[in-house]
Amino acid sequence: MTAGPATTATSSVKALNCTNCGGTLSLRAAGYTVSMVCEHCGATLDTTDPELRVIAQATAAITRPPIALGTRGVLRGETWEVVGYLERSDGEDGWSEYLLFNPYRGYGWLVDDGRRFSYGFLLDSLPDMDGAQIVIDQGRGLDHDSGPYPVEVKFVVGEFYWRVAVGERVQVTDYVRPGTTVSCEENDSERTWSKLDLLEWGEAERAFGVEPRRPDSGAPSPAEPSPWRDRLTESWIIGAIAAVTLLIIAAMSSGTQRLASVDAQVGLDGAPRTVVIHGVEITGHPSAIRISAQSDQLDNDWIDLDYSLVDKRTQESFDAYGLAEHYSGSDSDGSWSEGDTRPKTRLSSIPPGTYDLVVELSAHRWVQNASTSFFGAQTGMVDPNPTLVPVTINVDRGGMFAGNVILALILILIWPGFVLWRHLAFEQRRRGSNDDDDDDDDDDDWDD
Amino acid sequence: MFMANCPNCGAAISFRSIDLPVRVCDYCHSSILRTGDALVSAGKVAEVPEDVSPLQIGVRGRDGARSFELIGRVRWRWTDGGWNEWLALFDDGSTGWIGEAMGRYMLLREVAATGLSGPVERGLQAGAQIILGTEAVIDGVQYRVTDVKEATCAGSEGELPFNTPPGFSMPSVDLMAADGHCASIQMDGGEVKLYAGRYVTLADMKATGLRAFEGWPMPRFAA
Repeated sequence: MTAGPATTATSSVKALNCTNCGGTLSLRAAGYTVSMVCEHCGATLDTTDPELRVIAQATAAITRPPIALGTRGVLRGETWEVVGYLERSDGEDGWSEYLLFNPYRGYGWLVDDGRRFSYGFLLDSLPDMDGAQIVIDQGRGLDHDSGPYPVEVKFVVGEFYWRVAVGERVQVTDYVRPGTTVSCEENDSERTWSKLDLLEWGEAERAFGVEPRRPDSGAPSPAEPSPWRDRLTESWIIGAIAAVTLLIIAAMSSGTQRLASVDAQVGLDGAPRTVVIHGVEITGHPSAIRISAQSDQLDNDWIDLDYSLVDKRTQESFDAYGLAEHYSGSDSDGSWSEGDTRPKTRLSSIPPGTYDLVVELSAHRWVQNASTSFFGAQTGMVDPNPTLVPVTINVDRGGMFAGNVILALILILIWPGFVLWRHLAFEQRRRGSNDDDDDDDDDDDWDD
Repeated sequence: MFMANCPNCGAAISFRSIDLPVRVCDYCHSSILRTGDALVSAGKVAEVPEDVSPLQIGVRGRDGARSFELIGRVRWRWTDGGWNEWLALFDDGSTGWIGEAMGRYMLLREVAATGLSGPVERGLQAGAQIILGTEAVIDGVQYRVTDVKEATCAGSEGELPFNTPPGFSMPSVDLMAADGHCASIQMDGGEVKLYAGRYVTLADMKATGLRAFEGWPMPRFAA
């Protein structure tokens, strides 16, 4: 038997010296790396050549990537080492790309658009074309977002699995769905597809130990899902439940309960009368009380109704006033009539207890010319034998104040409305960041 | 497996496959050709340069129900890079290749050249240059050419189905399909060899016996 595979750990890093400047370099992906840009002098070395031939001298001053070469981090469960750093530009906007390596996992990308980080890989399968959309992994389609547009390498340092060079140009076409961008990069000899997923705020910074960025209001990238979207759905569901609950409660509690009723008579322009309804019981919780009077025989008369709901135990009194009236006549516009013969008066939040309702009634005739009447409010004289008019007084419990229901509805809808407003503002910014894109017809609304 | 001695240096060499005609001596890097029971040294071949591939000879893995063991490797180079092709010996005695490039793996089996049709096949027939994006159909699956290059052998080890003398080179065409299928066409002299399979990960292959690297956690499936 020959020995099994060697199990002793070897170093994955190979020390080299730059052929140009002699500086010490770490080759972290030997065998995969094709070219390496010296982090000391910027010269490009051919790592497929045992002599480490210099392919290109430095073309730009060396800048240190914000995440240093050789930094290790665990991103979404995978350990990665930063082996290369590129800055690319489409002529207007620039961004940074970190090449990540793990000997067991191969390569990954961490892309920094200056605002947020994305994480992605080359695709192992070609996307399917489905009309204007592309489909990957039988998942949700991606809409064409932009391109093909030229992208150029502006700065490079570290090691790469291809012949990297400043000035290298590819044609890029982007397709997006919320949180994901799929890009096709093409040059004369190769066409590659890659998929980038937007990372959560702080995810990449935590993984690679750099200062976390704060969510800001800058222009979102075309693939950035609205941070308000989940909350939007949630807030409208909760809002709808609350509104429906409110309306159900309102409907249920508007079913009133008759507590007491009395029929009385009062003399027109006669002495005021006091009627007492004893023992009005309010049980359970504080309630709205509705006192309604009904006097359908009024004819150019009115009745003042002074109500006092007196708690028998504490003598606390809740006072209210009602006015039953009816007037009619005719003038140049024809006949008219006005007035409410069935006034309703509400008392809110009456505590439980036993009450007496004291009603003081005083009825009067209305006359246009006071001199034609001897008795009445205008003269202050009391008719000793007045004409009697019947009045029915009902005491009901419950009933909702419509104003309160509307106020509650407005309060319930404040949060969903705010979230909707923020969401729409975000979507406008997201689209605004890509306003040179003229194919709006396939820019489907993502809020499906 | 049977054992023998290298006709060049005398070191012990093992053969896991009884069918393969070439064995590279682990010690002197001679290519040893086997014809019947006779072993003939065919001269030295290049040693594979050190790399950080997690694969090595002896790694075991699975392709569905079948298990395999890596018994050989050819390192290929082209103008702008290189890749490994690992020879896998399956438990039924058949062989396949694991192509390793840019940290990705293609598990490929040789298929009959008659399985190829479409524009690529016609281009090969006519001796024309194959260009990117050309369509091909292999056993009913539609592919597109994603890569065309001239491959030169940069080193080899273990047991192999062909000899890899210094400077051995051939045109190589890579193809991809929409469903993760991939294929490779290699032209050895006038002979077209067709390999088809799919992209896999080490986890997909449940690879064990991987190389260990300092500071890198061994993946859970391989531990």
